[in-house]
Amino acid sequence: MERAERTSKVITARDLGLVACLRCAQAWPRETERCGRCGHRLILRDEKSLQRVAAYWLLGFACYIPANLYPMLKTETLLSVQEATIVGGAIEFIYYGNYSIALIILFASVVIPLAKFMAIAFLAVSVVRPSSTGPHQRQVLYEVVEYIGRWSMIDIFVVAIMSALVQLNSLASMHPGIASLFFALSVIFTMLSAQAFDSRMIWDVQDQREGTKP
Amino acid sequence: MSDTPEKVSVETARRSWTQRISVIWLIPLIALVISLGVAFQSWNERGHLITIEFESGSGISPRQTELRYRDVKVGVVEDVQFSEDLSSIIASVRIDKKVAPYADAGAGFWIVRPELTAQGVSGLDTVISGVFIEASWDSEIGPIRRSFKGRETAPLFRPGDEGLQIALRTIPGGTLTDNSPILFRGIEVGRVGSARISGRGNFAIAEAIIYEDHRDLITRSTRFWDTSGFSVSIGPTGAEVDFSSLATLVGGGITFDTFVSGGAPVADGTVFEVFGDSSAARNSVFNASEVELLEMQVIFDENISGLTVDAPVELSGLRIGSVESLSGIVDSDAFGDSRVRLNVVIGVQPARLGLPGEVSADAALEFLTERVAAGLRARLASGSLLTGGLKVELVEVADAEPANISRNSDNVVQFPSTESEISDAAATVEGVFTRINSLPIEELLNNAILFMESATALVSDADLRGTSEEVRGLLGDVRGIVTSQSVQDIPVRLNASLERIEELLVQLASEQLVPRVIEAIDAATSAAVSVGASVEGVPELIDQLNAVAAKAETLPVEDLIVELTGLTSAAEALIDTDAARDLPASLGSALDELNATLADLRAGGAVDNVNATLLSTREAADAVALSSQDLPALVERISRVFEQASATIAGYNKGEALSRDAQAAMRDISQAAEAITSLARLLERNPSALIRGR
Repeated sequence: MERAERTSKVITARDLGLVACLRCAQAWPRETERCGRCGHRLILRDEKSLQRVAAYWLLGFACYIPANLYPMLKTETLLSVQEATIVGGAIEFIYYGNYSIALIILFASVVIPLAKFMAIAFLAVSVVRPSSTGPHQRQVLYEVVEYIGRWSMIDIFVVAIMSALVQLNSLASMHPGIASLFFALSVIFTMLSAQAFDSRMIWDVQDQREGTKP
Repeated sequence: MSDTPEKVSVETARRSWTQRISVIWLIPLIALVISLGVAFQSWNERGHLITIEFESGSGISPRQTELRYRDVKVGVVEDVQFSEDLSSIIASVRIDKKVAPYADAGAGFWIVRPELTAQGVSGLDTVISGVFIEASWDSEIGPIRRSFKGRETAPLFRPGDEGLQIALRTIPGGTLTDNSPILFRGIEVGRVGSARISGRGNFAIAEAIIYEDHRDLITRSTRFWDTSGFSVSIGPTGAEVDFSSLATLVGGGITFDTFVSGGAPVADGTVFEVFGDSSAARNSVFNASEVELLEMQVIFDENISGLTVDAPVELSGLRIGSVESLSGIVDSDAFGDSRVRLNVVIGVQPARLGLPGEVSADAALEFLTERVAAGLRARLASGSLLTGGLKVELVEVADAEPANISRNSDNVVQFPSTESEISDAAATVEGVFTRINSLPIEELLNNAILFMESATALVSDADLRGTSEEVRGLLGDVRGIVTSQSVQDIPVRLNASLERIEELLVQLASEQLVPRVIEAIDAATSAAVSVGASVEGVPELIDQLNAVAAKAETLPVEDLIVELTGLTSAAEALIDTDAARDLPASLGSALDELNATLADLRAGGAVDNVNATLLSTREAADAVALSSQDLPALVERISRVFEQASATIAGYNKGEALSRDAQAAMRDISQAAEAITSLARLLERNPSALIRGR
């Protein structure tokens, strides 16, 4: 790919009248309806991909707002009930001097999800509007987003494990707050949004741009 | 395949919007609908915000303190603020929409805190969970209210609670322990709430609840009494300490019993009286008021002491009620001056009026209203002559000023009054007692004692004793004379002389016979007459002795006694005088004189003369006559002596010094009497001086 990037032109399957199978990457003549190797339905371009990306992105972002406003973890001790939001919990850790934990929480729960939202939005927009970033970088970005997506669930895991472990009846107990549900939904929708993106379009834009140039 | 494929013309023709728009948009759409739905629902179900005002907000924290109804959370405190003048706190509570309509005017709110009382611990769960606000309301939906005033304590019965709701009020002068359990056979069957004092302060009343399970225990014949504290009694069976339970010992309690079976069941709101102890409660069953008293206020213009609480209220001599409370009243608006008037609240028992039909306070009031229009008035009257106690009498006054039973601003029935009729008997009796009291009994007794002492001194005086000795000596002398040989010889000699007379007579008979006999008889007769005359003198002597005795009795002693009864001091003075002291000595000398006379008598030849007379046969009769004639002279002399003695004694009475003493004594006594009289007058004028000592 790096070589290809350096070359002036990347020839896509569509340019050659072929259609690639999205599952097994076998290229077939355009008219072929199903992949002869894996039986997957062959689609030249998913024209509604961007709509799906936008829809899931909106949903994910919508879920991300209550995930930050509502308490993530509810801690009940003998005399008090504590409810902490994500940022509030991090601030509390900072207050107690646990900067590393606070950083981890902030990084995993705030920075990465926000970065994902921005990355997906950027990729989607770059398909419609030409951007200065090259298709190769965008492809890398897309793959990174897809890879990181599943790790965003680590917050939920922590909440789930804590809730399961700290159950000492009335002495102390922890319950997942309402925000954890929204956070999980947000992660799921973000992943769906990332998956809905047809990365082949990154290259189509290049074609169009280069096609219009001459 | 090796050929370059034909350029495919990309379709740009417009497709329908259903083909162009992805189905995926449905998902955010659904999400939007769901969230909107949830938002709407939560907004729709969001409770009403009510505000509750509390004195203090201890333990109330926003978003944590719950509002509970029957221990189930129905709301939560959202905000706690101060009232405008900082006098209380206002808790804003978001109350569930479903129960909000019940929070109407009848709702009550109070803060449940942990409490440690004599009856136990309550609200312990709030130690851990923090306080909560408890709500109570009835099952009726009323017009909704937004702001409430919180209670300080939990209400005794909450709307909707099952149980018999009654009220307990004290008898006049009684006590009541509030916030305490109602025990029956040692089991708590109900509770008494907080008591409040009636508007006029004459009794306390507290609401109470009997739990539903025990409702049947209460009938119209049930009597309640206070079991607070303990009683100690000492009797033939030994000392006894009695208290119902430790809880009632500390916190007090009320118990009850139904002494008479067959009482009618009671309805909610019945008022029972609380008696001091079980015996009072038991007694009350039999003379009890079955109906609520009709209370009326009577204002008397006169302020007369003697009327007490519980004094009878009588109508035509029949006791129909009693005085409930007494107080003074000053109301210059109503009466036109600022004098203190006697404000009496009387309780009339309608059952005692014997009214036909329904017996109730209203019926009694109606009856009395009619009678007042006809002139019935209340007045103070003497209840007891001895104690001076007063009673209230309802009497018909013929020419009474028109008046009516009215109600004043406090809705108290006012009964018109008239002038009091208080008999003077009390005052008279009092005066008699005062006079008896003021008699100088103590002084009299003191004087009597002094007199006794003087009398004792007089009697034990050696001279006086000597008197009796001398009298005895005189008697001994008399006996000596009588038993003297010469006197005893008289009969023998008489006999001898008679023999000689016989001889003489025989001789005479033989010699001169009749004329000499006659002569002898005449002589004998004259002798006998002389003897009779001399014997006649003896009664005279006795009379004179009597007179002397009478005089002795009447003169100093009589005066003494007269003076003793009234003026014992004079007697004392009299006895103290030297003259009186000399009296025994004088008596003694008088007796000495008598003695001497008798001695003379003995020494003198009286008896010897007799003997000589008798011895001489010839001059026997003459001698006898002569000696008999001498005897009266002796008697006369003795009587003179006695007269002299009595005169002497009488003389003492007339003595100047003595009368001076007596007069001085009289003056002293009259002065003393005057002083006593003035003291009595002072006491009469100002009886309180006796108490204050001035």
